[in-house]
Amino acid sequence: MAGSAGRATALQWRRFRFPQSLIGHGAWIAVLAFLAFSVDHLEIPLERIPDMLGRMWQVLASRYYPPDLAYILDRDYLDYVVETIQMAYLGALFGLLLSVLLGWFGSFNMTPSRRFVYPVARLFTMGFRAVHEMIWAILFVSILGFGMLPGVLALTFFCAGFAGKLFAEEIEAIDMGPVEAMRAAGANLFQTVVFGVFPQVRVAFTGISIYTWDVAFRAATVVGFVGAGGMGWYLKRAVLQIETERVAAIILSIVALVIVSEIVSAYARDRVMRMK
Amino acid sequence: MSTFRQAAATADVAWRSRAADQVLDSRRRRRYRVSTFVMVLVVLVVWSVQVTIIDDTDWERMGSLQSVLAAAGEFLAVDWALFPSLAGPAVETLMIACLGTLLGVVICVPAAWFGALNITPYKPVTYPLARLMMTLSRSIHEIVWALFFVAVVGLGPLAGIFAIAVRSVGFIAKMSAEAIEDIDHGPVEAIRAVGGNGFQVMLYAILPQVLPQVLGVIIFEWEINIRRSAILGLVGAGGLGLVFFRQLNTFNFAGVTAVIIAILALILLGEVLSYFARKAVI
Amino acid sequence: MPILEVRELRARYTSSGPEILKGVSFEVEADDFFAIIGPSGAGKSTLIRCINRLVEPTAGSIHFYGTDVTTLPGRQLRILRRDIGMIFQEFNLINRMSVMDNVLSGRLGYTGNVRTLFRAFPRADIERALELLQRVGLQDHVDKRADELSGGQRQRVGIARALMQGPRLMLLDEPTSALDPKISREVMGLIKTMAEEFGVPCLCNIHDVRLAMEFCNKIIGLQDGVKMFDGPTGEMDQAKLDQIYAMEVL
Repeated sequence: MAGSAGRATALQWRRFRFPQSLIGHGAWIAVLAFLAFSVDHLEIPLERIPDMLGRMWQVLASRYYPPDLAYILDRDYLDYVVETIQMAYLGALFGLLLSVLLGWFGSFNMTPSRRFVYPVARLFTMGFRAVHEMIWAILFVSILGFGMLPGVLALTFFCAGFAGKLFAEEIEAIDMGPVEAMRAAGANLFQTVVFGVFPQVRVAFTGISIYTWDVAFRAATVVGFVGAGGMGWYLKRAVLQIETERVAAIILSIVALVIVSEIVSAYARDRVMRMK
Repeated sequence: MSTFRQAAATADVAWRSRAADQVLDSRRRRRYRVSTFVMVLVVLVVWSVQVTIIDDTDWERMGSLQSVLAAAGEFLAVDWALFPSLAGPAVETLMIACLGTLLGVVICVPAAWFGALNITPYKPVTYPLARLMMTLSRSIHEIVWALFFVAVVGLGPLAGIFAIAVRSVGFIAKMSAEAIEDIDHGPVEAIRAVGGNGFQVMLYAILPQVLPQVLGVIIFEWEINIRRSAILGLVGAGGLGLVFFRQLNTFNFAGVTAVIIAILALILLGEVLSYFARKAVI
Repeated sequence: MPILEVRELRARYTSSGPEILKGVSFEVEADDFFAIIGPSGAGKSTLIRCINRLVEPTAGSIHFYGTDVTTLPGRQLRILRRDIGMIFQEFNLINRMSVMDNVLSGRLGYTGNVRTLFRAFPRADIERALELLQRVGLQDHVDKRADELSGGQRQRVGIARALMQGPRLMLLDEPTSALDPKISREVMGLIKTMAEEFGVPCLCNIHDVRLAMEFCNKIIGLQDGVKMFDGPTGEMDQAKLDQIYAMEVL
């Protein structure tokens, strides 16, 4: 009897059972319908896309090649590159300092006060993070005028939100054992953080900091678009004047800088991994 | 007490003293190293502050603290009347983000396949190619990508979708490639053992293992893409960004604040949706 | 006079949750090596954590050398905690720090914030740490990172860290249940020797009844938050054990 019952269930096997299948398929259909509706609503000429891809290649080959290398080796431009790096450095550093506090206060397990500090820190992190760096840059430019100061501030806010959330998540994921041990030994909150939390998150924090620096540098290359300093302004000018070979050269210089910074970061990460 | 035990005790004391010296010494060296590092950081900060902030800022034009606060205060008002007209652009922004993410995922498939060391078809060529794609995609800001695509396909949402797609490829492909490199090799062998071809191995052995992780990454990127698509109006890709700049150019600061609130609402909606999507995936 | 007096101790984690301890009372004397046994979920860990208030008791009193622990405000609580050493089941070492720093972390209650930040412990502390490391047999591992050690070695670091505090009581939370039987016996032996030598009474949570009978002079049997047995080890027998562990059979 047991055997026939088993066969009966086997025959009834389906990939999905009733309620799940309805919800699952329903969700997929809804997503697909939304995407189709989007294509229609945004009036995207689907039939022209293959043609466009071909043209893209043509445009790249004819107008963006060869890059105007002399332009990016020019002294003035290199000055702007250095300024961009400085802006990214300051923005990332200030943002990271702020985000360490935000991360600590905004982590549910280590926050000094769950009722007051935690929600406030979370709110600030979310606010800093939700607003795109370009919007921060625009806001600061319209308040403070053109220059690198608004750029640095925009990057600071952006980095604080960006890293703050990641830091808080790292702190929430730690092993609470050492924290408990430090508390049991009579350590205060600060000491518990220095000995119980920090060694556990150090590697992750370094990784996140390096990542934040990468992101800050990329953002620093474009905040100049809205007048917040750095090489973005150069880029914008080259784009507006349709100096495509210069644009190509500038993009090349950005990629080169990013690659250099990635090599340095990999080295730094490795050093921190092996620290005691 | 034997002389031997006494000698051992003396040796212990001597060892302790020597070891303590060593410990203190290494700590001192470590402190020097750390303080040198901090000094370098500080010098760089001072130099950068000098160049970027003190020299570059037009302090007179900025005026006193009061006038700065007054300028900032203009953003505190909210133009509530603007909200009904924001619904349409908000939906457009969301659509650009969704389609951009989708297209990005499509481009990611070859990038992740080529970029995973264990399944890349021809290592000397395809692997560096995929890595180059990822680096290019990640190192160029979405604004720059959008400018490029505006030049190619003209103003409009399509340029924004392309920009978001290309910008998303780097992160999704990198994470997916890492996930593929970390898979358990057992199922791959199992599918090979029953005579599966390369495509079947990918579909039945690799994809199921990395799918939850990859979907998580895609949802994460989608959330970021909402933020990105909201500003692509700056270069003419439509959506909320366009309204934002129109308000800014007419100096309607209350309207700017209204648009920012709309963007925040959209992002919040994105976070809620991604929370449920993530739950459904895992 | 007992050094630790626990009266009618009650504890629960959330106000609506189940009561973990349901009025436990006992006393620890100055030369005791006290075992708390009982099935898992009986409240052993909670009981031990109430004593240095890693878990806040909801009712009852704990007197440690005459001071009521349950009412101490923040700063005094930290001063109390540095008098109570604790050894943990999962060692709770700081894995990425050196053995030396782990042992020195036992002195945090005596160290200022600035010194903590720069890990600038006084020479006397370092020498004491070296002495303890020598005593637990780790003199060759001073500079290693804690995660490079084996389980038994890690628990030895834990012992050194607890003794570094110069404690007047040691709380042992299942100190051997993450170790294999042979190492367990060694570690228990080491704790006992050190405790006797430094004159520190111990209160030990232990799952392994045989180890408890072998090393401890007094035993409390806990079952579902209620004390079932309290007396010298000699009075414990199989019938009483069966009663204490009755729930676990189910």
